Amino acid sequence: MISSDVIRGYNDTIILYLLLNEPSYGYEISKKIRELTDEKYVMKETTLYSAFKRMETNGYIESFSGSETNGKTRTYYKITEAGKKYYTEKCEEWEITREVIEKFIVKENYHEYN
Amino acid sequence: MNTIRNYLDNMFLGLPQTEDVKRAKKELLAMMEDKYNELKSSGKTENEAIGIVISEFGNLDELGDTLGIKQVVGNKTDVQLVSYEEAKNYIEDSKATAPKTALGVLLCIISPITLLLLIGLRELNLVNVKEDLLIAAGLVVLICLVATGVSYFIRFSSKLEKYDNLKVNLFELDYETEQMVRKIQKQEEQTYKSAVSISVVCYILSALPIIITPLISEVEGFSVISLVVTLIIVALSTYNIINKSGSNEACNVLLQEGDYSVKIKSNKTFRTVSKVYWCVIVAVYLGYSFITNNWAMSWIIWPVAGVLFGAIKAITDGRS
Repeated sequence: MISSDVIRGYNDTIILYLLLNEPSYGYEISKKIRELTDEKYVMKETTLYSAFKRMETNGYIESFSGSETNGKTRTYYKITEAGKKYYTEKCEEWEITREVIEKFIVKENYHEYN
Repeated sequence: MNTIRNYLDNMFLGLPQTEDVKRAKKELLAMMEDKYNELKSSGKTENEAIGIVISEFGNLDELGDTLGIKQVVGNKTDVQLVSYEEAKNYIEDSKATAPKTALGVLLCIISPITLLLLIGLRELNLVNVKEDLLIAAGLVVLICLVATGVSYFIRFSSKLEKYDNLKVNLFELDYETEQMVRKIQKQEEQTYKSAVSISVVCYILSALPIIITPLISEVEGFSVISLVVTLIIVALSTYNIINKSGSNEACNVLLQEGDYSVKIKSNKTFRTVSKVYWCVIVAVYLGYSFITNNWAMSWIIWPVAGVLFGAIKAITDGRS
């Protein structure tokens, strides 16, 4: 399991990525995250919902109610233009973050540095 | 699934019922429900599924910021939760007490009938006893019946006293309890409604003896006896309503509906105003009547006060 402190700044990015192609709803998103990360990261329901709420307020996503074939009404979320822009920014930010952090991460040959 | 609903109810206990909070609860429930169903269909047992769903729920503090209720999430302890047992006991006690209270009311209403009957029979020359003696005997019966009636009120209302706080204070029920109360309310609704409609018809019909008797005979005795018939009809109708109202009343209190709605309970101004209002009305009635001795007219204050009370309620509702 990953420490959620580290990943917190990128919860929004993860959700936006999953909304890029098509609208989706709470459980489907949480399931996809679990599957894509091979169960290494499970997003808590409250985390997911507060991300939805926050991004909706910021105008990155929009919610609408839709029903599935089995007739169950659900709240769906879809990404907005602002959301796509924000997602791209976050991707660039991650690239830099990764470059920076990697400078300090020891890969193989750990013992040679000691 | 009930365990999950109860869990969520408990987590949200005491939070203000804003649109945001309601929506959050609904959405969270939908996600938990989806997860639960999928776990169940993938072969997990009930307990495993519930365990996983609850362990992956997260922390409500996280929502505090986004919902603008951070302060409240921190110290939301002042709302009481009424347990399943307590709710069930209240409904049962209320149901058990209703016939006794109804009997008390019945005794009070019929208390003057012996007196009236004796006077009526004497007028018709069917009883030949001194009038003073008849009145004395009638009054003794009257006082005994009223005393018995009142003793019933005291004895049985004290049984429900411990539930009085439910009528005044705000509280919440968890999902399971609420479902149980709603079920009982639904079961009893028909009985209660038909009891009320039968009684209302009887109340209207109860006026007939008094109206018709003078048309048939002008003998004074008959009109007194017709009053006895009216009182008996009124007494039985009232008994019928109160007897059947026990669980209905308790359900209203528990679901905070009607007179016990959250809106009315939270409206402290209205509660204070209504207490003061009725004390003033009683004082005015007694004061005016004793001073002028105009009892024949002064009762008009009651219907007037009743209508005026409706207006006051509307005004305080509008302000809060």
